[in-house]
Amino acid sequence: MKQALTVTGIQKNIQLLLISTVLFITLLIPGRLFSQNDSTKTEEPADENETTLIAPAIQFITVQKNDNTIDLRTALTAKFKGSVIKLPWLKVSFLQVTDTQEKELGFVITDKVGKAVFNVKSDSLVTDKEGKIHFKAVFSGNKQMEGAEEEVTIKRARIEITPVKEDSLLTVKVKLVDMGTGTETPVPEIALGIFVKRQFYPLKVGEGTTDASGEATIEIPNKLPGDAKGNITLLAKLDENEIYGNLEAAVVQNWGTPVSDKLHELPRALWSAHPPLWMMITFIILMTTVWGHYLVIIVQLFRLRKEEPDPGSPTVETIS
Amino acid sequence: MQLNKYQQEVFDKQRPVIETFDKKTWGWTIFFLLWILLGGYALYLQIAKGHEVTGMRDNVVWGLYIANFIFFIGISYAGAVISGILHILQVEWRKPIIRIAEMITVISTVIGPVFILLCVGRLDRLHHLFLYPRLQSPITWDVFAIGTYFAGSVIFLYLALIKDFAIYRDAKLNIPKWKQKLYKILAIGYRGTHSQKRHIRISTNLMAIMIIPLAIIVHSVLSWIFGMTLRPGWHSTIFGPYFVLAAIYSGTGVLIMAMWVYRKMYKLESYLTDKHFVYLGYIMMVLGAGYGYFTFSEYLTDWFASEKWNSEVIEKLFNPAKYGWWFLFANVAGILLPIFIVAIPKTRTPNLITLASFFMVLALWVKRYLIIVPTLESPLLPMQDTRIEYVKYSATWVEWALTFAGIATFFLFYTLLSKFVTIIPISEFAGKEKATAPVKEKKIDPS
Repeated sequence: MKQALTVTGIQKNIQLLLISTVLFITLLIPGRLFSQNDSTKTEEPADENETTLIAPAIQFITVQKNDNTIDLRTALTAKFKGSVIKLPWLKVSFLQVTDTQEKELGFVITDKVGKAVFNVKSDSLVTDKEGKIHFKAVFSGNKQMEGAEEEVTIKRARIEITPVKEDSLLTVKVKLVDMGTGTETPVPEIALGIFVKRQFYPLKVGEGTTDASGEATIEIPNKLPGDAKGNITLLAKLDENEIYGNLEAAVVQNWGTPVSDKLHELPRALWSAHPPLWMMITFIILMTTVWGHYLVIIVQLFRLRKEEPDPGSPTVETIS
Repeated sequence: MQLNKYQQEVFDKQRPVIETFDKKTWGWTIFFLLWILLGGYALYLQIAKGHEVTGMRDNVVWGLYIANFIFFIGISYAGAVISGILHILQVEWRKPIIRIAEMITVISTVIGPVFILLCVGRLDRLHHLFLYPRLQSPITWDVFAIGTYFAGSVIFLYLALIKDFAIYRDAKLNIPKWKQKLYKILAIGYRGTHSQKRHIRISTNLMAIMIIPLAIIVHSVLSWIFGMTLRPGWHSTIFGPYFVLAAIYSGTGVLIMAMWVYRKMYKLESYLTDKHFVYLGYIMMVLGAGYGYFTFSEYLTDWFASEKWNSEVIEKLFNPAKYGWWFLFANVAGILLPIFIVAIPKTRTPNLITLASFFMVLALWVKRYLIIVPTLESPLLPMQDTRIEYVKYSATWVEWALTFAGIATFFLFYTLLSKFVTIIPISEFAGKEKATAPVKEKKIDPS
């Protein structure tokens, strides 16, 4: 009797525990399901454009060349989800900025890696009192992206490049002249690099610093691989100068070792276009012999079938 | 068709086998199908998720699948070379075993190349092998060689079956109509005329001569897939004959095992006699000695020369912490055991010869694995910052499931084929009754 009472007591306790648990959960559910925002709290409405628009960036440089033109080069990128992406197929406008106006020089659509290059003749450009030219690259933006712009100021300058051959010694004489003030003034104490054009990036072959007359003589190595005629393209470069920006001058010289641009027959290799003749012949002989014999056997079987006599015919013998 | 008394005796003995598909056979068939089903699921995973479900990676690109491929093509030699040679030499005792051998050939030639397909990552480009074959590639040689060999094996088996199909056709067997019709079609009107016999004799002789060089070429080409590369342990001039010998050897082993199974299962002791086991045991012993010689020669030269990369592979094979125990098993069970079992008169019994064959076949499978994996785990270029699973191969359950599915398919095909044709050829017992009379003796003393 006592045991029965104890059991009943435990059962009651469990029932109570279950009921209270269910009630507790039931009390919580409305809070979860129907809880409201605090109506008294005011929240600033989020600016959709601010949060959704991508903010691109323009990297803008100029390269002055010795053919009296200037390359205006931009790279359009944006930071998106933590990584930098290149923005292709977008319009970038190039402008020349003077005290009075902004004159559009033209526009270029960025390529698949987000780059745009605009070549402008330097004679047509207007310089300020200090002989400087101001450029601006502008991306106007679109529905997904904000606009972006970047300005660059450079002073007109030119690199002259002259190849000099003394016996077997090959040198390049380079001269850097300032053209900003209208007169050509040599620029001293500037480091210039000499490069040779290769398939992808130029190969640096020498370096020199200009003297008081703005000149430097730089030795270059012999027997550089050239084109089919032995021509190599020598480049003199000034990179990222605070006043002049980037400068470049090129000259083609017949100082290289001729390298034929025609494809020569490659040595025997697994990836050769055709197998050796002996292999073809061996293969054909082997295959023809084997499959030829198969054919003979199949013909024999056809003949066997044709020669089937009547089942009761006296020609039928034992199975062997 | 008229049968002589021996033919009738053999036929009556095997008649119930092809007439019925008993519960036992159903049981085995379902068992094999279950394994194949598991393999099917593994294949589905492999196709759906890619080869990442296997243990193969950028470095070790071959594993169980290629070992299975070489193994199955190897055992296909049972029919090709053994029955071919015995036919040319007109060895009379070959007659009861020839069909078992030829069936092994055809079935294993079907299953072997399937493992190549499992190994290939881009099956969608498989037709490129035929559309754009590069004759200078040993892989292309292999495709043509195996294709030609398979066609030859089927023809060889079929030629040996035509006379039997004619017997089944005329025997009024208690079988379904479709089966009767099929026998009639396959018998291609054979009635046993002199001219018809001549056609079959010419064709069989041609095939017997052809199948031997063909089989040798196929396995040589297979070995050249390895031998033509500059990988340590593979670049060997003796790989061609080494592979050929190993193939005939393992084929003999499988033939002995198949004989043992059928002898027990269908009580064919009168036809598959102790003599057959002993004679095949002798062949196995000679081949084992030859295989042992090649193995010794191969590893001795590599070890002696101490070339850096070869030494690395040799070290892996000799090191008990790596592949040492497997290598030891491959050589003890694969070379010494069969030789001793057959050489000692007391152990020269069907059961022990079969047991030796079983271990030898297993050892030769291990040997194929040891040819492939340790070499691929020894890259010529040093690998930096590579995860261990990219350097060390370890087969996954997917590969094992497909391996066992392949073995199950082999057994299933063999079971079904042995329900369609008699294992002991009936027509072979005609004409030379005295010479081919069933051997009744239980045990012979070769001494």
